Amino acid sequence: MKLDAATSAGDIPEGLVEPSLYVGKVTPGSLDDQVLAFPETRPPRQWYFALAITLTAALIGVISIGYTFYLGIGAWGNTSPVFWAFDIINFVFWVGIGHAGTLISAILFLFRKRWRNAIARFAEAMTIFAVICAVIFPLIHVGRPWLAYWLFPYPNQRALWTNFRSPLLWDVFAVNTYFSVSLMFWYLGLIPDIASMRDRTTSKLRKVIYTVLAMGWRGAATHWQHYEKAYLLLAGLATGLVLSVHSVVSFDFATSVVPGWHMTIFPPYFVAGAIFAGFAMVVMVLVVVRETMQLKNLITMRHLDVMNKVILAMSCIMGYSYMMEGFTAWYSMNEYLHHAFMNIITGTYGWAGWVTISCNILIPQILWFKKARSSYFWMILVAVGVTIGMWFERFVIIVISLHQDYLPSAWRIYKPTMVDFGVLLGTFGIFFTLVLLFARVLPVIATTEVKAILPDAQPSHHGDDHHA
Amino acid sequence: MKTRLPDHGPLETPRFWRTLEERIETPEAQQAAHDEFLPGAIPTGPSYDDVHGLPPQSGVSRRDFLGLVSAAAALAATVACDRKGQGTVVPYTKRPVEVVPGVANYYASATHEGRRVYPLLVKTREGRPIHLTGNDEHPGVKGKTSPRTMADVLRLYDPDRLRAPKAEGRIIGWSDAESRLHAALAGAKAAGKPVLLISGAVASPSRKALLADLKAALPTLEHLAYEPAAGDAAEVAGLASYGQPVDLQPRLDKAKVILSLGADFLNGEDPEAQAAWGAQRRLKSAHDPINRLWVLEGPLTLTGTNADQRVPVAPSRLGAAAFALAKELAAKGVALPAGTDLSGIPAGAPAGFPAATWSSLVKDLRTAGRNAVVLCGAQMPAEAHQAAHLLNAMLGSEAVGVRATEPLATVKELEAAAQKMASGAYAAAIFWDVNPAYTFPKAAAWKAAVAKVPVRAWIGQVEDETAAQCQLLLPENHWLESWGDYATPGAAVLQQPAIGTLYDTRPGEDILLGALKALGTNAPDGYHAYLQARWKKELPFGTSFEQALHDGLVKAEAKTPAPAFKGASVAAAAKKAAASKAEGLELVLFPGFATHDGRHANNSWLQETPDPITKMTWDNPVAVSVQDAKALGIEEGDLVTLSLDGVTVKLPAVIQPGQAQGVLALALGYGRTTGGVAKGVGVDAFPFLGLDPASANARTGARLAKAGGRKELSRTQSHHRMEGRDLVRSLTMDEFAHNPQGHHHGPELVTLYEEQRFPDHKWGMVIDLAACTGCSACVVACQSENNVPVVGPEQVARGREMHWIRIDRYYEGELENPKVVHQPMLCQHCDNAPCENVCPVNATNHSPEGLNQMAYNRCVGTRYCANNCPYKVRRFNFLEYTAYKTEPETLAYNPEVTVRPRGVMEKCSFCVQRINDVKIRAKGDGRAILDGEITTACMAGCSSDAIVFGDLKDPKSKVSQLVAASRAYRVLEELGVKPAITYLADLKNPAVEGGHHEA
Repeated sequence: MKLDAATSAGDIPEGLVEPSLYVGKVTPGSLDDQVLAFPETRPPRQWYFALAITLTAALIGVISIGYTFYLGIGAWGNTSPVFWAFDIINFVFWVGIGHAGTLISAILFLFRKRWRNAIARFAEAMTIFAVICAVIFPLIHVGRPWLAYWLFPYPNQRALWTNFRSPLLWDVFAVNTYFSVSLMFWYLGLIPDIASMRDRTTSKLRKVIYTVLAMGWRGAATHWQHYEKAYLLLAGLATGLVLSVHSVVSFDFATSVVPGWHMTIFPPYFVAGAIFAGFAMVVMVLVVVRETMQLKNLITMRHLDVMNKVILAMSCIMGYSYMMEGFTAWYSMNEYLHHAFMNIITGTYGWAGWVTISCNILIPQILWFKKARSSYFWMILVAVGVTIGMWFERFVIIVISLHQDYLPSAWRIYKPTMVDFGVLLGTFGIFFTLVLLFARVLPVIATTEVKAILPDAQPSHHGDDHHA
Repeated sequence: MKTRLPDHGPLETPRFWRTLEERIETPEAQQAAHDEFLPGAIPTGPSYDDVHGLPPQSGVSRRDFLGLVSAAAALAATVACDRKGQGTVVPYTKRPVEVVPGVANYYASATHEGRRVYPLLVKTREGRPIHLTGNDEHPGVKGKTSPRTMADVLRLYDPDRLRAPKAEGRIIGWSDAESRLHAALAGAKAAGKPVLLISGAVASPSRKALLADLKAALPTLEHLAYEPAAGDAAEVAGLASYGQPVDLQPRLDKAKVILSLGADFLNGEDPEAQAAWGAQRRLKSAHDPINRLWVLEGPLTLTGTNADQRVPVAPSRLGAAAFALAKELAAKGVALPAGTDLSGIPAGAPAGFPAATWSSLVKDLRTAGRNAVVLCGAQMPAEAHQAAHLLNAMLGSEAVGVRATEPLATVKELEAAAQKMASGAYAAAIFWDVNPAYTFPKAAAWKAAVAKVPVRAWIGQVEDETAAQCQLLLPENHWLESWGDYATPGAAVLQQPAIGTLYDTRPGEDILLGALKALGTNAPDGYHAYLQARWKKELPFGTSFEQALHDGLVKAEAKTPAPAFKGASVAAAAKKAAASKAEGLELVLFPGFATHDGRHANNSWLQETPDPITKMTWDNPVAVSVQDAKALGIEEGDLVTLSLDGVTVKLPAVIQPGQAQGVLALALGYGRTTGGVAKGVGVDAFPFLGLDPASANARTGARLAKAGGRKELSRTQSHHRMEGRDLVRSLTMDEFAHNPQGHHHGPELVTLYEEQRFPDHKWGMVIDLAACTGCSACVVACQSENNVPVVGPEQVARGREMHWIRIDRYYEGELENPKVVHQPMLCQHCDNAPCENVCPVNATNHSPEGLNQMAYNRCVGTRYCANNCPYKVRRFNFLEYTAYKTEPETLAYNPEVTVRPRGVMEKCSFCVQRINDVKIRAKGDGRAILDGEITTACMAGCSSDAIVFGDLKDPKSKVSQLVAASRAYRVLEELGVKPAITYLADLKNPAVEGGHHEA
């Protein structure tokens, strides 16, 4: 892999010049042919094979959820005092995964990080899908799911209102807002590309669908003007949400009295953890995408390198947070908090605590080495590790804290059931099914945004044009 | 018409007109213009037809017509309303006397378990008995009763009850059934062949008279009163020490020092003893008198957990220890009864007994003298009983009443009967409310013997192991459907039915009366008439039978003289006690807390009530001492094989702290093979019961080995240490006197928020841990009152039991003889309830009277409240526990309390239905609520009066005064949740410094 640098600008010292964000010769035309033509081609057999696997997993999830509806929450391992377990672990886990996309597309957009352009579309799609997986849980985890709509404050003849003091209600708003804004943001960015696909396709059906979805986009200057404005506004809006959603999710725990939950550090710690987990998932999927969809020239090793650096930074923040948890437990002189922390490293579920620490703190340190950051083996190892580690982090927070709280008489070991695992597997199935479908029907790279970093986009600038 | 409108005088010619008639001012038009309504539109006045001279068609105006139509439509709609599954609702055409829908009726009645009688008050709603409490008129029980008795209301609605007589497996009519029985008895009488009748203990004078009448009519009748869990050793020892069967009544109100030799009198069975105990423990100041409880025992009993000084002593050594005590007391100048010979007993403290503890025990007994009492557990060997009788006689104890009573058949007499049956001597056998096919130790031999009896009749409620052996099954009434009477110290107690028979059943006495008549004796029709006739003669002058029924009792002092102790019996017993030694492990077989002798095994409330010590439900694991478990490598939940005398059983083990080394304990009453609930729960321990009555329940020579494999224990508490947390405070009398709050003074709690205001009432509760024995009567009372569902062993094993009140039991100190504390834990009704603010739908909120309330209808089941409850007292319906229930089970529900469906959170409501009931009645009477008028079910069920409920706004209320007591503290107060429940620290009155921790 050649990480070429622009060297023609002699006045900028080598090393400070931003390396190219693509490899080889890329023109707007070649870009369109490469990216937009993909959905037009017949999927390879491997795609069907993968889809069969993910659909099977999704089906297992649907059956598990159906069984839960039939039998009740008792189908799961949840018990007293561990009233929340896989349900909320999975919820927080998937909401966390959903953070990378918006961070990449919105915050990095505002910071003018141009390396985001090639990967933003995919990351955003993953956000949408992860949040879809996440919202399943608040709906199915309640004891009477057919009444879950009572969580929405709507005028009703019973004159009943929701309790705005409950963090669970804040969750409802935060996740809903996040999902709708993310969806809008993603769709807005898709419009120019959909219009291009509309113009390219020869299939009548596709033409109709793309025509409807493109909303009459013609690429006129006024369209672009509105588009840019809306995109900027939504990016601004989404930026706040990236920080707020997981802060609100953390309030579920931080505002409670449960030792191990009642921590002021939780909001920033949760946001960092979410970005951490999200980036790991994006790295994992991007590696597969660039290999299988022949996008190596657009999603370069440089992209992965930058992503891995973010993962490393987040890992350090997580390490700090874990240490602060221990410090708080010690410094507070609170016996309950002390017990809750010691449970993480020495209790019945101490192994889960060490899985969390190893996967989230120890293993990612390998990314200090540039070699590791540009090696598939290491980056996949780290990404898989972080995904496992972050799931277990939520297990640690929820199950370990709950299973031994104030009165030892109520303490009890929690054991998940097969249905719990079925639902968890099912959400992975749903997530990857959606990812696979997305990769077949929509452009996985925002061509308009990549075109903006091609040399032709800025004729006055001569930085990147020597390849052209 | 004119009267309805003011007269405006003659109308002017209108400028605008509606009709030509109006314009030309015809009288009709003038009238019409003047009237508000057109004719016929309103019911009075001339109708439209009249006005227009039409022939009358109907007398109904349009308005009437519309009214009738709408009323008819509304009625039709109402009548047509039939919600799915509503069924047919038929109102009373003639309302039964006394039954007012929505208002509870209370009837005095009574029941018994073995010799122990429970005078009761039965709460009925719409004619259904739903809740039982003790009869507060009775001088002994004073409104208290036992957990098993309270749960016995469920047995009335047991769907397994036999509903009609059966012969050879087919339902038959009563006349057919009776004629078969009568023919058999008449045949036996004619042939002069013996007839065997085995019944439970005869605690009723009328039943005793009836049996005597029957015996007179059928001289070959052999009657055995059989109580398999009563403890044969006590019976044997009573006979030896007093020359007649005796019943011991502890009078703990007179006791300063109590020595228990494995006697478990604080396990809830004996409400009188528990009340007296509680009265001496609810101390306001350290100067109040307090008793001291010494416990010498092998297994850890509930009484042992409440001991001030406890010494683990194996049952085989108990008799020798108690005789040594007598010898020591005699040496110190306490007179021995005449003829007593203790030469076989070595002087001094028994081996392994700490010297300081021994001497202070001797000193305590000697000092207390008449105010000391020695009680021996029914399961202990006969020598220990005889030693206890001797000690009581020596001390002249006033704290125990020895009463002559009816004899009980021991296992030896049963064995003799079995041999006689096997020989084919009996013409017929009647089993009345007994189950020897299950309870007799050699069940196979018993069954083979019974098969030799030509006619076998069974009288009982649920077809059991014995019923399977009988050709003729005669279904008996539940006691709530029957008449009866009992003799108790201080009062004769009447039992009256609180409901008509649910099925085609009869009282057992009616069946015997029928037999009496068939045998040619003149007897009244039905047991009610028989009873009434007897009582008309017995009642004191001026007392009507109706009044006696209303009160449920007639106060009367016992007339029989107390039996005298026979000193000559001691020598043999002392010799036997001195020689007694255990080979292998000792096995103590005690009646199950839930099942007793198995008769309650089909009661799901009791099966799910945690054993107060092990916290086990739905099982009887063998309890192994800490030392033995270590030696044998047994861990909790391991399957083990227990063998003794060729009987081997595979069962799970629990490790029991405080149990004496070398002792195993196993509950009787499990392992039934019949009954929808009872079948297959636990293992049958009766085969281990010895055939020597003197040591039937305390066996030696047992062997225990690991069997491999484990069983998940259905246990409600799995962590037994407090982890040094300030949850249960326990003070010695010394600490109470000097520093009742101990070192627990936390920082003053401040709040930024405005304190909540409670305008009228603020309900609160005080629980005195010093009086609480952990008997779990409150758990059963709450279950009955609040329709708490039963979830079954698998769900309990997963931690999903639903009890609104639980007893937390913690061990402290060394495992070999730990200090044990009990703490009833229920919703604390916090003012700053952490559960309330986290509910997204406001399903749980705070009442203006300080109650933390649940709106079940609103709950969607996020379970967030339960996570945020520091006391973990919220219960979630993880599965559907109630909807599958049908009649007759649903009849046991309290209609005042909503039955909760799946997916809903529930918890203690402070019995809000009882609060409202009293509030409504007080409002109706136009008066204020009296202190103590409102009782929660747990409070009413608590025999030792450890629970007090009341209004904290009333400074004079009992609860307000107790909240200010020096022992008062709140659990987890430092969280700032402001619980409404105050606990009073436990009290221990040790004789020796740190006396509890020695072995």
